[in-house]
Amino acid sequence: MNHALLAIAGPVATLTLNRADARNALSLELLQDLHAAVDALAPCASGGGSPHVLVVTGAGKAFCAGMDLKAVLGNSTLALELLSSLALFTVKLRALPMVVVAKVNGAAIGGGCGLSCVCDLAITHADAKLGYPEVDLGVCPAVVAPWLVRKVGAGRARKILLTGGLMSGREAHVCGMIDVLCETGAELDRVTDDVVRRLAAGGPQALAATKKLLNELDSSLDEAIVLKGAQLSASVLATPDAQARLRAKLGA
Amino acid sequence: MIKSALQGNVFEITLSRPEKRNALTPEMLADLRAAIAVIPKEARALLLSGEGAAFCAGFDLALCKDSPDGTVMRALLTGLHECIAALRVLEIPVVIAAQGAAIAGGCALLGGGDVILTNADAKLGYPVARLGVSPAVSAPFLRNLAGDGVARARELENGLIDGRAALACGLAHECLEAPEAVRSRALEVARDLASKPGHAMAATKRWLAEIAPISLAAQGLSVSLARVGSEEEKRLLPLAWSTVR
Repeated sequence: MNHALLAIAGPVATLTLNRADARNALSLELLQDLHAAVDALAPCASGGGSPHVLVVTGAGKAFCAGMDLKAVLGNSTLALELLSSLALFTVKLRALPMVVVAKVNGAAIGGGCGLSCVCDLAITHADAKLGYPEVDLGVCPAVVAPWLVRKVGAGRARKILLTGGLMSGREAHVCGMIDVLCETGAELDRVTDDVVRRLAAGGPQALAATKKLLNELDSSLDEAIVLKGAQLSASVLATPDAQARLRAKLGA
Repeated sequence: MIKSALQGNVFEITLSRPEKRNALTPEMLADLRAAIAVIPKEARALLLSGEGAAFCAGFDLALCKDSPDGTVMRALLTGLHECIAALRVLEIPVVIAAQGAAIAGGCALLGGGDVILTNADAKLGYPVARLGVSPAVSAPFLRNLAGDGVARARELENGLIDGRAALACGLAHECLEAPEAVRSRALEVARDLASKPGHAMAATKRWLAEIAPISLAAQGLSVSLARVGSEEEKRLLPLAWSTVR
């Protein structure tokens, strides 16, 4: 079964994390499928007449519950592989010349929240749950930290990552993690469609040129920093404290 | 004028000169620096607070009156820089309870915090250029806290903003209605942070410092020090002595 679905309709492509039974948690298989989907999208985006907006969303109720850590508990090699795959995927997604919109249909947690910050725009509803509870579990959100810093600035990123826990879509909107807020989940489709329609009406080359400059300004395409983050995150994950907390949390 | 106490696993350092709105003297800054240096190992979070109605109204500029050669001003600037820099390298989270006022040097201290709380009607800002004093000493830290635009606006503009505006611009992270509620809520936040795994907290702080480093901190101090004793400062600083605190 394909864990990531790519659909293209004229100027708009949609990438759906399709692992609803696991709240779209990022497993190695899901990440492989995400890599493949974006690889398929990259060449067609450089030509004319191809999609110039990509919507990233989740199947089912959640956007993405974060890293699927259950499968890598006790295996530091696999954990590093999973975190490195996410790290490289974030840069690959960011490098797309088209505008990328996160349609955060529900929970966006840890690595899932990080994915929404990699996108150029993030839309959600007031009651969605977002955040980075990594420190609560004794782990370090090192792969997603650079993306949150770029999105909301260093000071707010410090506050968010060190306090851990979760926040509502409304709170995420106030601190700059979410750009467009709907009052209810029922409005999400319509509001996203409006935003996407506006984006799709823009000159794709002007958008791509602007995005390229923005990526250069904040060193978005620096793979070394996220890969170093993956190593750091894996090393903290390997500590007995983190393993014990995760076992308790995951019931593993 | 600096008190400190360990409460459970939260270490609280309090600016304690309420009759002067916790205006900073060179001795207070030296004591603050010393208190930061001896945070007990059991402490898993630091709470920085100010006694009374105002967190901190800035430097006690009246002291500069009796120091025409600029010794006091230099000590204040250097002490402030050292305190903020010392806060920023701590591996435990730093919570600041900034009720009432965080003005000039008091606003600068916010640059040392990870989580900053204030109240809706508090006054925050950095109106010192009108006294011929350069706030450059804290620009690197405020820029890291709230971004370049906010740092520019607060350091170059002489006005003050309220707590709601501070929350909106990222100078604060939580804004309460009642000033009296700020310190107790800040203690609650500090206790919550102290309850989290210290190893992950320290790793996350180190990583954030690596990916979003503070640029040119020493140069900021040099720029402020270079203005001490200038003709402009000699002309404008006495304005501070005529205003009632």
